[in-house]
Amino acid sequence: MTNLTTEPAVQDTDLDELGPVDYIVVEFPAGASNFTGEMAKALLALVDSGTIRVIDILILTKNEDGTVDAKEFSDVEELGPLQVVEGQLAELLAADDVVHLAAAMDPGSTAGVLIWENLWAAPFAAAARRSGGQLIAHGRIPIQAIIASIEADEAHSTEGE
Amino acid sequence: MPLRAARVGRVGVIGHPVAKTAVVAKAVTPGPSPIAKTAVVAAAVTPGRAGRRRL
Repeated sequence: MTNLTTEPAVQDTDLDELGPVDYIVVEFPAGASNFTGEMAKALLALVDSGTIRVIDILILTKNEDGTVDAKEFSDVEELGPLQVVEGQLAELLAADDVVHLAAAMDPGSTAGVLIWENLWAAPFAAAARRSGGQLIAHGRIPIQAIIASIEADEAHSTEGE
Repeated sequence: MPLRAARVGRVGVIGHPVAKTAVVAKAVTPGPSPIAKTAVVAAAVTPGRAGRRRL
């Protein structure tokens, strides 16, 4: 298994071989954060296994007046094992993106923004493109929707008894 | 702490203000316990589970 955290970032990625790129914004309400290193460990495991490549990370803080402070990942003290990941970031996000992403945040909260490439999906995506396929839809099914569907099914079954 | 200068003035990739995602808590109230619901969801996505779809 390739240990990606100890190798240089991939600088010459063939565009056709690029995996889907996703982002998340994880909000920590004021006073609710409990950083034990568990998140860093899990993220490093995904990188080391070649599941993802981290493209960008920002730390956002939304003040009570709605203004937003953005901190570069490199400005975070005590990065620990994530130092290697920081050295490979591509800094994809623009200042405008910070404003757009922070729109989802509550005042007084802090959030981590993570942008990553799904390396695990790249070979399939490339194969689909070479086969003439075009991505026309994608998305995520919320767990809430699955639960609602199951419950509706159960209710339907109960009515029929 | 300011952003790096390279991020300023560049065209963004997000494109529009992001709306907050529905919090998972919505899925666990009311009704059975969260653990019970987790088991139900896990069963729903288990390989080989069939016969539920009605088109």
